[in-house]
Amino acid sequence: MNDMSIVERKLTQDEIKISARGVQVYYGDKHAIKDVNVDILDKTVTAFIGPSGCGKSTFLRCINRMNDTIDAARVDGKILLDGEDIYDKRVDPVQLRAKVGMVFQKPNPFPKSIYDNVAYGPRIHGLARTRGELDEIVEKSLRGAALWNEVKDRLQEAGTGLSGGQQQRLCIARAVATQPEVLLMDEPCSALDPIATSQVEELIDQLRQDFSVVIVTHSMQQAARVSQKTAFFHLGNLVEYGATDDIFTRPQDPRTESYISGRIG
Amino acid sequence: MPVSWIILLVLVLAATAYVLGRRRALEGANGDPRRLHSRPVYYGWNAALSALVPAVLMLVVTRLALGSSNLGALLVLAAAIAGVIFALSRTTPDFRARNMVEQVVKAGLILCSSVAIATTLGIILSLVFESAQFFRMYPWQDFLFGTEWTPAFGGGSKLGMLPLLWGTLYISLIALLVAVPIGLFAAIYMSEYAGPRVRAWVKPAIEILAGIPTIVYGLFALVTVGPLLRDWIAAPTGLGDSGSSVMTAGIVMGIMLIPFVSSLSDDIINAVPQSLRDGSLGLGSTPSETIRNVVLPAALPGIVGAILLAASRAIGETMIVVLGAGAMARISGNPFEAMTTITVKIVGQLTGDNDFASPETLVAFALGLTLFVITLALNIFALYIVRKYREQYE
Repeated sequence: MNDMSIVERKLTQDEIKISARGVQVYYGDKHAIKDVNVDILDKTVTAFIGPSGCGKSTFLRCINRMNDTIDAARVDGKILLDGEDIYDKRVDPVQLRAKVGMVFQKPNPFPKSIYDNVAYGPRIHGLARTRGELDEIVEKSLRGAALWNEVKDRLQEAGTGLSGGQQQRLCIARAVATQPEVLLMDEPCSALDPIATSQVEELIDQLRQDFSVVIVTHSMQQAARVSQKTAFFHLGNLVEYGATDDIFTRPQDPRTESYISGRIG
Repeated sequence: MPVSWIILLVLVLAATAYVLGRRRALEGANGDPRRLHSRPVYYGWNAALSALVPAVLMLVVTRLALGSSNLGALLVLAAAIAGVIFALSRTTPDFRARNMVEQVVKAGLILCSSVAIATTLGIILSLVFESAQFFRMYPWQDFLFGTEWTPAFGGGSKLGMLPLLWGTLYISLIALLVAVPIGLFAAIYMSEYAGPRVRAWVKPAIEILAGIPTIVYGLFALVTVGPLLRDWIAAPTGLGDSGSSVMTAGIVMGIMLIPFVSSLSDDIINAVPQSLRDGSLGLGSTPSETIRNVVLPAALPGIVGAILLAASRAIGETMIVVLGAGAMARISGNPFEAMTTITVKIVGQLTGDNDFASPETLVAFALGLTLFVITLALNIFALYIVRKYREQYE
């Protein structure tokens, strides 16, 4: 993997894509997210770090309303996507999730062929009018996920038969194929070996050109490698948010410093 | 001496042996259980089992060889005492008592599991032998491919199986057409849409259906569904005037099968990993698209297995057919006519004062064999599919 290229690529965007104001999340009686305010930029990789159970995944799932699928979860506050409140009654979470794609911790390819996995989103949302267009989207997405060369001769084989790293890149291709504006990644490398991890990390950096990427990670090295902005969560609070370099070299909050130096977490 | 007394004596002996064995082991170790190979209780159990096992074996042997006699009783007691003495003589601190006891327990477990297999084999053998006798008296071609079923005691009967097979398959088909959609949709509702509180009520309520004896369903078919279908559908459309019909039996049998299909499918749908649902919802598909495109295809092999298990239940059902479809053996496409099934005719041929050497009686065994082969094939097919499905997620 080429680490240097990732570091050298500069922040080119300052446009705010997602803006969260006073977000509270309750799981039953548990107050999981406490008053989080954050602005996530377009065409940027933003990393959420923090110890287990700090709420970073919970907050990530607020951004595409996946918490709606959990009965006990309740979300308060405002999250604006391009200035529009996604928790407004007029917003259909189904349409929202087409715009805000998600890649999960464990690779979860559908028990279908590789082609059908990638074509799933475009078919549902009617993004392709002809078979040729669909083929094009599938190829482009698989290329985007750096998987095309490995699978181009076996598109009709089961997606579940790929290796773990390939499965995760297939899931990324599947998310990309729906042509989202934001890509949420919930610890996308935690089930992968180091080689697959570096492939996915490289991919994340490329995705930044087209999407706003938000990644939850347990690995601080990963956050430092792939992200331009980092948010540190602790016990449901957003403790510190800023440029990744600043967070890792000049943390303002003592809790952040303790965490990145390995004393809490 | 009656058997109960022998058994009681042997049990007393075994209890004594337990105490003796345990004490002897502890004495050998100077009262320190840590110097024994196994914990003291195992020495006790070893002695007790050494009394029980030979005694039981001897009891079986003497009953078979000598019948009920005092000599037999003495031999049983002698075997028990010999076993105890042998066990006690081996009870030293180094004796591997736990391993011995576990060997005996394992043998017991193997015995229990082989009972089921042996019984199945026995049933098959008895069916095969009786059927072979039938086919010596009646040509198998006429049985398998005959389209007429007119048994007449005293000779000249036609025993063609096809009308019965037709009735069986026709009724089972209607039953499945009722049970599969309703059961499957109920399962989808319970596993995907119902909240935990609704589920806690609905699932047991549906499963109550499975607890109703089939004869009660039969009564329901006879007094309610049959006349209803005749008066409201069959008679006005001129399709038939009989209360007993394939449709009646099929519908009622379908109702009986709903809990089978729904309960099994519900378990299978629940076994589809949540991560697949999340993946689909995360791509912006609606819950119903997720169920249609991801959950059901993933669960399909298991659902097919459930349907096949329900089908083999339907094929073997008797009581609902007797009361719902009548006993007329005929091949007809009209679902409002009375027909009958293999199972009903097996009962018909064997009840009453019959001569067990005539083909009219023995045909029941050939029918039973046919039924057995059909349901066995369905079950094997279902198990094969269910197993293949399981490998996918474990």
